[in-house]
Amino acid sequence: MEKALTLYELNNLVRGTLETVLSDEYWLQAELSEVRVAYNGHCYMEFVEKDADGRQLVAKARGMIWSNVFRSLNPFFERETGRRLSAGLKVLVRVKVSFHELYGYSLTVTGIDPTYTIGDIERRRREILQQLADEGILNDNKSLPLPVMMNRIAVISSATAAGYGDFCDQLYHNDYKLRFVTRLFPAVMQGENVEASVLSALDAVLSERDRWDAVVIIRGGGAVSDLAGFDTYLLAAGCAQFPLPVITGIGHERDDTVLDLVAHTRVKTPTAAAAFLVSHQLDAATHVEDLGLRMVNGARLHMQGEMERIRQAAMRLPTVFTFIKTSGEHRLSLLSGRLRHAADRVLAGRRYKLAMAGDRFFSRVPAMLDRERFRLKLLEQRCEAVDPRKLLKRGYSMTFCNGHLVRDAARLKPGDEIMTYVAEGSVCSVVKDTKHEKENNDL
Amino acid sequence: MKKKTMTYEEAVARLETLVGQVENNELGIDSLAPALREAQELIAFCKQKLYATDEEIQKILQETEKE
Repeated sequence: MEKALTLYELNNLVRGTLETVLSDEYWLQAELSEVRVAYNGHCYMEFVEKDADGRQLVAKARGMIWSNVFRSLNPFFERETGRRLSAGLKVLVRVKVSFHELYGYSLTVTGIDPTYTIGDIERRRREILQQLADEGILNDNKSLPLPVMMNRIAVISSATAAGYGDFCDQLYHNDYKLRFVTRLFPAVMQGENVEASVLSALDAVLSERDRWDAVVIIRGGGAVSDLAGFDTYLLAAGCAQFPLPVITGIGHERDDTVLDLVAHTRVKTPTAAAAFLVSHQLDAATHVEDLGLRMVNGARLHMQGEMERIRQAAMRLPTVFTFIKTSGEHRLSLLSGRLRHAADRVLAGRRYKLAMAGDRFFSRVPAMLDRERFRLKLLEQRCEAVDPRKLLKRGYSMTFCNGHLVRDAARLKPGDEIMTYVAEGSVCSVVKDTKHEKENNDL
Repeated sequence: MKKKTMTYEEAVARLETLVGQVENNELGIDSLAPALREAQELIAFCKQKLYATDEEIQKILQETEKE
């Protein structure tokens, strides 16, 4: 029987063989299942390989990165990929195979190629996006109309992040005094809990959705870019189906996470998110100011139009008057013509009647004259019969006293001068005595 | 019109209608003054929602600091 080896001796043999046979460095593609950075700055990890279904492990190995390598490798990797070295990540690393008698088999990482990881991340993003597209929800949030008035903002962020402070500062100190109302819905914005934390913050916003116009998911753009949490299906689906527009500003320059791709609007930084909101509100304010201006101008124009109408009407007025006057005069002359004709007609009628009446009158004149002449003759005869001169010739006389015919002797008194007319001449005498008719008769 | 229950979008829509009517000469001269007055009220209503008063800004900032 050969001499038995101690364990150390055997392990030492293995080590020697490995170091002789696998002395080169190899490019290894594998998935990280565990990553831990020790206090001394060294990074310890575990590489795994799964079968085609991704269920069963088919290979597993420990790995480590010395602190002096890790110090430059880690920031380079994060900058390039937007990922921390963490479980679940597929990496392409350059390794040296080593074996330690006490610690066993392990891989020492000396370099990393981030493009492989980027490719893998991209592939996974595409898968998530494809799934969202297949489910018909990929563009749900994007197709929400932005409210005209968008100033009640639910902010999902880490309270301690610088980005949140920048956002509020930018929003509340906007140059236009635009009104904004915000509330922070705190969430973890880095590491493994991002997905669950942001989803629960979204739930909290949803429970009072009437109070908010939009959701802003922001994160300060620190040195570390750990975007893994924003590239998950559940978060993307939650955001895509969120009933309020989601605006992301999660502080990375290079590429868009799935969350960015499903969000309504994607900006790069929290400051840019605030600027976007201010600009949107400014548009709303400008629109209102513009409407006000248009209203005043429209009214002014309208008034000017009315004034012009009145002016035009006033200008036409004399013309109208002239027209009215002319037509009035015309009517007047027509009327007066008619009046004249009517008058002529009436006059002619009257004249005719008059002439007829005259004719009738004059035709009767000779008969009337004869009749009057006959009447005159009769009168003359009657007059002749009572002519006093005839009586005087017959011997009667007429006595006058003071021009009055004396019919009653009683009216005379002695001494009165009386004139007595006889047929031939007259006698003037003075009354000596008077006797009444009775006394006379007695004689 | 019930201004208290009116939303901003309703106010802007009404304002747009009024402006359209004035610009298209759809309003008689008699309706012009009431329309202007209503528009003025609507603008004031919108501005009140758009712009913050200084006190409000101060208040919000103080609340933010407390958090």
